[in-house]
Amino acid sequence: MVNLILNENMKLYRRWRTWVMVALMIGAVLLGSFVEWYYDDKDAPPDAWRTEIAEEKEHFNKLLADPGMDEETITYAKDQLAIGEYMLANDIRPESGTMWDGINGSATLVILITLFTVIVAGDSLAGEFSTGTIKLLLIRPASRSKILVSKYISMIMFGLLLLVVLFVVSVLFNGVLYQFKDIGLPLVTTDAAGNAVEKSMVANLWLTYLLNGVSTILFVTMAFMISAAFRSSAMAIGFSIFALFAGTLLTELIQAYSWAKYVLFANLDLSMYLVGRPYQEGMTLVFSILVLAAYFVVFNLVSWLVFTRRDVAA
Amino acid sequence: MMSEPIVSLRNVTKRIGRKTIIDNVSFDVPKGEIFGFLGPNGAGKTTTIRMMVGLMSITSGTITIQGKNVAKEFEQAIRHVGGIVENPEMYKFLSGYHNLVHYARMVPGVTTERIREVVELVKLEDRIHDKVKKYSLGMRQRLGVAQALLHRPSLLILDEPTNGLDPAGIRELRDYLRQLTREEGITVIVSSHLLSEMELMCDRVAIMMSGKIVDVKPTRELIGSHDQAASYLIEASPAERAFAAAVEFAGASAVKAVPEGVEVTADRDQVPDILAHLMRTDVRIYGVTPMRQSLEDRFLEITGGERVG
Ligand SMILES: Nc1ncnc2c1ncn2[C@@H]1O[C@H](COP(=O)(O)OP(=O)(O)O)[C@@H](O)[C@H]1O
Ligand SMILES: [Mg+2]
Repeated sequence: MVNLILNENMKLYRRWRTWVMVALMIGAVLLGSFVEWYYDDKDAPPDAWRTEIAEEKEHFNKLLADPGMDEETITYAKDQLAIGEYMLANDIRPESGTMWDGINGSATLVILITLFTVIVAGDSLAGEFSTGTIKLLLIRPASRSKILVSKYISMIMFGLLLLVVLFVVSVLFNGVLYQFKDIGLPLVTTDAAGNAVEKSMVANLWLTYLLNGVSTILFVTMAFMISAAFRSSAMAIGFSIFALFAGTLLTELIQAYSWAKYVLFANLDLSMYLVGRPYQEGMTLVFSILVLAAYFVVFNLVSWLVFTRRDVAA
Repeated sequence: MMSEPIVSLRNVTKRIGRKTIIDNVSFDVPKGEIFGFLGPNGAGKTTTIRMMVGLMSITSGTITIQGKNVAKEFEQAIRHVGGIVENPEMYKFLSGYHNLVHYARMVPGVTTERIREVVELVKLEDRIHDKVKKYSLGMRQRLGVAQALLHRPSLLILDEPTNGLDPAGIRELRDYLRQLTREEGITVIVSSHLLSEMELMCDRVAIMMSGKIVDVKPTRELIGSHDQAASYLIEASPAERAFAAAVEFAGASAVKAVPEGVEVTADRDQVPDILAHLMRTDVRIYGVTPMRQSLEDRFLEITGGERVG
C-alpha cells in the first residue's frame, strides 16, 4: 500500500502541472497579502485603533437606542460592544492593520486548493484510462481497491500540502511585511453568553481552514467519482468546477423548498453554525455533518463499485 | 499435455450486452511453449487476453494461471504474469527508468539491480533516463518488454507484439522469445493477425474466428505439406474417369475431386507416373499445378477465405 502511494505521488510530483499549481498558490498568497499591506494606512499613529473603537461604540449604542431594531441586530451590537470594551481594557488591538489581517484574508484561498485538487482528482483515474496506462497498472498483483485507495490518499495529501503551503507562505510573508509585529495578538470574540473571550489567532485560523476543507474534501471526492464513472478528465473537472461555483447560486434559488436542506451545497458551509444563522430553520450542525457524511460515503461507494467492477476496454 | 499446464481456459465465454464476443473457448498451454493466437482483426484475441489478465470480467467459464483462478485469486494468479495488452502505453511524463521503478514497486522483490538487468537486456541503457515522450515507437516497445519481464514472470502475454516493429525488430523479438523459453523456461502467449510471423515464432497456434477457436495445432502440423508431400492440381476430363484412375494409383486418401479435375497429394517424383497412368486410361490432361500449402492457405481454408493483414 505504501508503495502504491509512493507511485501515485511520483506520478503527481514528477509533472510540471503540479508545480505550476503550487507556484500559483504561492503567487496568489503573495499578491493578496501584498495588496492588503499596500493599502494599509502606514502613517496612522499606533493607537489610532482606540479612536476607531470609540467611534464604533457610539454607532452601536445609537443602534441599541433605536426601539425598532430586531433581535439579531441587537445581539450583534451587544457582542461588538463587549468586544470593544474588552480590547480597550486589555490593550488588545484589532487585527486590521496587523500581519493577521493578511493571514486571515488568505484563508479564503482555500478555494484555490479545492480547484487544484479537483483538477488532480478528476484526472487521476480518467487520465490513466485515456492514455491507456491503466492496463499496465492493473495487471499487477495489487487489487483495484488498493489502487483506488492509494490514488485517493495521494490526492488528499496533495490538498494538505497546498494547505501547509498556504499557511506557511501567508504567515511568513505577512510576518515579513509587518516585521512580525503583533504576532502574539489574540482574537477577541464573544461566547454564547455574550461575554468577551480571548482565543488563539492560529487556532482560529486552522478552524477556518478545517471548515473550508470540508467542502474541499467533498468536491474532490465528487470529482474522483465522476472520474471513475465516466473515465473522462474533462467531464470530471468541468462538472466539479461548475458545481463549485454554481452551488451557492443554486442553494439560493431553492432555499424556499424544504427538501433543499438535503442538497449537498446547502450543508457545505459549516461556519454558518458559528456565525450567522443556518440555511434553513431547524438545521443543526449535527444534521449537516450527517448529510455531508452521507454524500461522502455515497460518492466513495460509487467510485469503488464502478472502478472495481467495470471492464477495462480502453 | 506434457505437464501441468501454465495456463488453462475452460469454456470461457464473454458477452457484452447481447453480443457474444468470446464463445466457449478452451485450451491449455504447457510450460515452455510459445503459443500463438492467430485470427483476423475483431476475432476476439485482445478480449481473450484481457480476460486472462483480469482487465475484463469472464461471463462464464474459468481461466487459471499456474493453478490459480484469475477471477477469484487475482493477485496470486497475476503475480507470475508479465504482459503487454495492445500498445505498451507508459507514463510519457516520466523517464523510462521511473516507469520501471513504478512497476517494480508493485511486485515484491524487484531490486534496483533487476531493473538495471532488464534495461540492459532490452538495450535501453543510453536512453533510460530520458522522458518516454522522447522515445521512438521501437524504444517504447522495448520498454514495454522490459516492464513485462521485470518481475521474472513465468508467463509472458503479448498482444500483437510485432505491431509497429520493422522486420529486423520482429526477428530480434522472435530470437529473444526463443531464448527466454529455452533458458528460463518462460511460457509465452503471443497474438497476431500476421500468419507469416506466427509460422516462424510459435510452437503451437490456435486459430480464432469470430470469438471461437477453430483449430489448435502444432505449427509443424498446420503447415503440413510444406516441403515433403505437396499436392498437385491436375486439370483433366472426364472428371470421373480421372478420379477413378488417380485413386487406383495413389489411394483414396490422397485424391480429392475438384471442379477442374483432381487434386492429388504425392511426392514430386511420382507426378510423371501419375500422369502416365491417367493418360493410359484415356484421360485428357490440360495442365498440372503444384499446390504448396502454407499456414496462410491453411488459415484461409479454415476461415473460409477471409483475407487479413
Ligand atoms: N467493449 C466492447 N463492447 C462491445 N464489443 C466489443 C468490445 N470490445 C470488443 N468488442 C468486439 O469484440 C470483438 C473482438 O474484439 P477484439 O478482442 O479486440 O479482437 P482482436 O483483438 O482479435 O482484433 C470485435 O468484434 C469487437 O467489435
Ligand atoms: Mg486486438
